Amino acid sequence: MHEVTVALGLLEGIQTAAREQGIERVAAVNVRIGALSGIVRDALLFSWDVATVDTIAAGSELRIEEIPLIIFCEFCEGERAPLPGTGLVCPECATPSPRIVRGREMQLVSMEVPA
Amino acid sequence: MKLRVVEVAANLMVKNNALAAKLRARFAASGTLVVNVLSSPGSGKTTLLEESLTRLARRYSVGALVGDQATANDAERLARSGAPVRQITTGSECRLDADMIAKALAGWGQERFDVLFIENVGNLICPAEYDLGEDLRVVLLSVTEGEDKPLKYPLAFNTSQLALVTKIDIAEAVGYERAAAKAAIEAVHPGMDVLELSARTGAGLDAWMAVLEARLRAKAFVPAG
Repeated sequence: MHEVTVALGLLEGIQTAAREQGIERVAAVNVRIGALSGIVRDALLFSWDVATVDTIAAGSELRIEEIPLIIFCEFCEGERAPLPGTGLVCPECATPSPRIVRGREMQLVSMEVPA
Repeated sequence: MKLRVVEVAANLMVKNNALAAKLRARFAASGTLVVNVLSSPGSGKTTLLEESLTRLARRYSVGALVGDQATANDAERLARSGAPVRQITTGSECRLDADMIAKALAGWGQERFDVLFIENVGNLICPAEYDLGEDLRVVLLSVTEGEDKPLKYPLAFNTSQLALVTKIDIAEAVGYERAAAKAAIEAVHPGMDVLELSARTGAGLDAWMAVLEARLRAKAFVPAG
């Protein structure tokens, strides 16, 4: 639902980094988006294309690595991936976990620029 | 075209989190208890806040910031309580962020509050991501919404400290299943505090006020700065 804002945030991060390093054109951007972030992949791709018009990242490819939800199960003492729609519950022993290990990411990882 | 990879490594939430930390320090200095209220549209957020403001205003200085994408209706309703209320029109934004709170406070010219409510935009997805510098994040679940709502929006319930089950006066009529709702809440936030209430009949409101007053007392003993 906030894909446009996220796209603009990513663009800002890219522009800042590019300015610092004298980069004038960006061909691709790599990001990590967690399953709990509420980001819809296609909506973010669309927002990216619109947000980057007339910028150094115009026409660039946004590569989204989707990070699945991982919790830490205190009973099993290990990281587990809950089944979809079950909340934050261990799929093996059914213990609910308050600890989210992965799945909240909204990270700018890197950009690819002409060598 | 030959490409090279440039590491950028930045968390998109860094800016908001830094601003929220500043707000939190400011609210600590002024001894203001800040309550961020999350819910779906139509869960009874405005009615509950109207009632909460009216009750608290008898003993404390209270105010509310109200986020709404388009209208000022909620702010107008809350203003009937007599408490100072300021609207934040978010336009296309589906949530409030720390920057919006800072700007609204700057343009408000109010002195300090004992309690400041922030009525977030009615939405359980985006607001869960944004720290507003609050002390207490509360999520509403009305008895008409479906008991599995916490499973659909785990982050909103996981990041809130208290769940308020609203419209409890019509629970029986709509076939609300208390045990199912409790199980869904436990599945995303084990041990989460839950209060049932009705802003219309007043049921459960004393317990809700007691939670706020206990928090307020705790806050007042935190040394400023």
